[in-house]
Amino acid sequence: MATILETKDLTFAYPAEEGEETTFALQGVDLTIEKGSFVVVLGHNGSGKSTLAKTFNAVLLPSGGKVYVAGMDTRDEALLLAIRQRVGMVFQNPDNQIVANVVEEDVAFAPENLGVPSEEIRRRVDDALRAVGMYDFVTHAPHLLSGGQKQRVAIAGVIAMEPECIVLDEATAMLDPIGRQEVLSTIHRLNREKGITVVLITHHMNEAEEADRVLVMDDGRLVMDGPPREIFSRVEALRSMGLTVPDTVDLLDRLRKDGWDLPLTALTVEECAGAIAACRPVSGAPRPGGTAPRREELSSSPILEIRHLTHTYGVGTPFQRSAVKDVSFTVREGEFLGIIGHTGSGKSTLIQHLNGLLRPSGGEILLGGRDIWAEPKKIRSVRFRVGLVFQYPEYQLFEETVYKDIAFGPANMGKTGDELDRCVREAARLVGIRDEQLEKSPFELSGGQKRRVALAGVLAMDPEVLILDEPTAGLDPAGRENLMANIRDYHRNRRRTIILVSHSMDEIAQNVDRIVVLKSSHVLMSGTPAQVFARGGELIEAGLDVPQVTRVAMALAERGMAIDPAVYTVEALERSLLTVGKGGAAC
Amino acid sequence: MLKDITLGQYFPGDTVAHKLDPRTKILLVVLYIIALFCAKSFLTYGIMALCLAVCVRISRVRVKAMVRGLRPVLFIILFTAVLNLFFTPGERTLVQLGILRVSNTGLRTAFFMVLRIMLLIMGTFLMTYTTSPISLTDGLERLLGWLKRFRVPVHELAMMMSIALRFIPTLIEETDKIMSAQKARGADLESGNLIQKAKAMVPILVPLFISAFRRADELATAMECRCYHGGEGRTKLHVLRYERRDGIALTAGCLVCVGVIVLGRFGL
Repeated sequence: MATILETKDLTFAYPAEEGEETTFALQGVDLTIEKGSFVVVLGHNGSGKSTLAKTFNAVLLPSGGKVYVAGMDTRDEALLLAIRQRVGMVFQNPDNQIVANVVEEDVAFAPENLGVPSEEIRRRVDDALRAVGMYDFVTHAPHLLSGGQKQRVAIAGVIAMEPECIVLDEATAMLDPIGRQEVLSTIHRLNREKGITVVLITHHMNEAEEADRVLVMDDGRLVMDGPPREIFSRVEALRSMGLTVPDTVDLLDRLRKDGWDLPLTALTVEECAGAIAACRPVSGAPRPGGTAPRREELSSSPILEIRHLTHTYGVGTPFQRSAVKDVSFTVREGEFLGIIGHTGSGKSTLIQHLNGLLRPSGGEILLGGRDIWAEPKKIRSVRFRVGLVFQYPEYQLFEETVYKDIAFGPANMGKTGDELDRCVREAARLVGIRDEQLEKSPFELSGGQKRRVALAGVLAMDPEVLILDEPTAGLDPAGRENLMANIRDYHRNRRRTIILVSHSMDEIAQNVDRIVVLKSSHVLMSGTPAQVFARGGELIEAGLDVPQVTRVAMALAERGMAIDPAVYTVEALERSLLTVGKGGAAC
Repeated sequence: MLKDITLGQYFPGDTVAHKLDPRTKILLVVLYIIALFCAKSFLTYGIMALCLAVCVRISRVRVKAMVRGLRPVLFIILFTAVLNLFFTPGERTLVQLGILRVSNTGLRTAFFMVLRIMLLIMGTFLMTYTTSPISLTDGLERLLGWLKRFRVPVHELAMMMSIALRFIPTLIEETDKIMSAQKARGADLESGNLIQKAKAMVPILVPLFISAFRRADELATAMECRCYHGGEGRTKLHVLRYERRDGIALTAGCLVCVGVIVLGRFGL
């Protein structure tokens, strides 16, 4: 097969600041990518995978070694446009790569730059928009589209150049599960039908399942290269690099350690369930579920009561719509509550009511038994008692030092002197910010650390209720795990109430005591994770996901195994399989 | 709350006024302004007002929207009226209030000035109401293309303008988010005197600027990746082409303009 991308002993170093040592983002990468293949690049933040991608179309030029695109050296300036036309790039933030304010104009941008005649541009724009399934939005304004739709427009903008290869640099990181699925199925189709080479850089291990080839980067080096099944079977090696494996592989790995004879290569839910069922034939007596440690509903007193909350935007205009409709639920003191729902299900509107940022159109919010809007002038004090950490909170940092930024909230509460100092240091400690970092500028820190600082800024107000909106969005697996561990510790040690808003079922399943599921502005269901996931079919029907482990459990139950289909952690499923297994014959 | 601001005052439609080439509309507005400044009498002002009324009718823009466009300049209109009314010297005094006196010329000038400003604003607004910002920048770029010979970066300016238009809604949304986030940390944006209020804006402006720079940086890379290399050799998806209706509209515009000037010459 012909080669589209080739690197030879590629090194790259970002220009070092004075007095600093040069650090190499890429060191001796040798790689060839065949035309028409689907390649996924994995690696933790700072492993060099984005840098690698940017050398593929001469956005970055190698410090040493060579990069060839279809045989063309990227250092040859005369070939720049020819190279960029062949290798298209899609980036992480959909908003920052759309140039025009009409969809078709944006898709036309690249061919316009290439001097393609108008009629030909028209044809390419229409073809590209059809290829990504966005033809119905030809004359729409991009800022009104969803994240997944914007990314598909961005992909169309690249396809309009008629490239041989598309590189997606964490293009799915900022999307919700539906958006991610839209983008993935689009690029898989382009790869299959048009034979376009795809290089997908991602943090989401599941996206690698269907790839032809997986590359793993670590510290600027290419450390693994092979088909996904082979790569994911190297569980320990991946973990040591701060990566995770899909839950299916995690489960198989655990069971193997328990002495089961299972292959590590059963990557998809179906394969995994098939492998387990084949190894453990249907066992004797079916048992009722209950092997999972059930987190019980707390009986402590209610701290937040949401009563028939309704919020309507744009009253009296043609755009009038209810973002939240008649929502009622109670949050108990010390509870870890999860709220799950799609983008547009009303999650964001709902949580902005809980600390009085939005005023209900109908219904009321009780905090400690009192209506928060009883005295509208004192609404600020509610915000100190109910701390809200927004999505991507690092974008709100503004002070010269980390210390001052964390102090902003408590200072607004009127704290001064030693008391203020204590609040700041305590909050910094909770999220693992070291003392010497407090005097640094927040903008010098890495992405994950910035997020911790922003979280500390809310914790420093010592709120009775802490609301977190997608706290781990866009972080790499190790970053996600560390942050959630911090939050779990905080919950365990402080016994404070936490509300976690997420669209990741796995994240919710692993952390919360109780789940509220929102769907199109109202509460679809609520209960303990076991209760909610027991209705897995309904969740899937509603277009929501269930954790991958639960899907394995459901598939096993369908195969007639006596497994509670509402299991939602790998450990619990492992335990139930071990118990079920005792009754059967050894394999 | 910021979302309520309607920017880019464009009302999509399918009338002749919407379909005209943006260059034609820009030229018509220029002719209209010239004629307006040459109008001196009830007759010529009447013609101008009639022309505007006809155009509004053709474009099917609601009269309410036209009047609403005047609201932001209400103060200027009133100010001009008062100034002209009281401080224009004239032969006959109509009313005397202390040192303030209204002359017959004053009354006439004030009336015409107010009319002129109102017609001027409504005329230009009619153009923005019927032309999308993107085709307006496109039209400007093409009209001013000859300036490139004098090293005026016309293409770059037009590109900047259309990117600015593209990012206005994004940045408004972002401002909204940052404001909410800082309010959640107890920022007080409403109370206090002017200086305190200005200080309270720092936690909003700093993140907003940082984010705007980050966006600009990422957008520049994304544009380069899509082979952007300046205006040279660029083609267009929609090529502007003068149609028959543009010829008719421009001829009519020229006739009115010349007519008003000639009438002015005769002191009418």
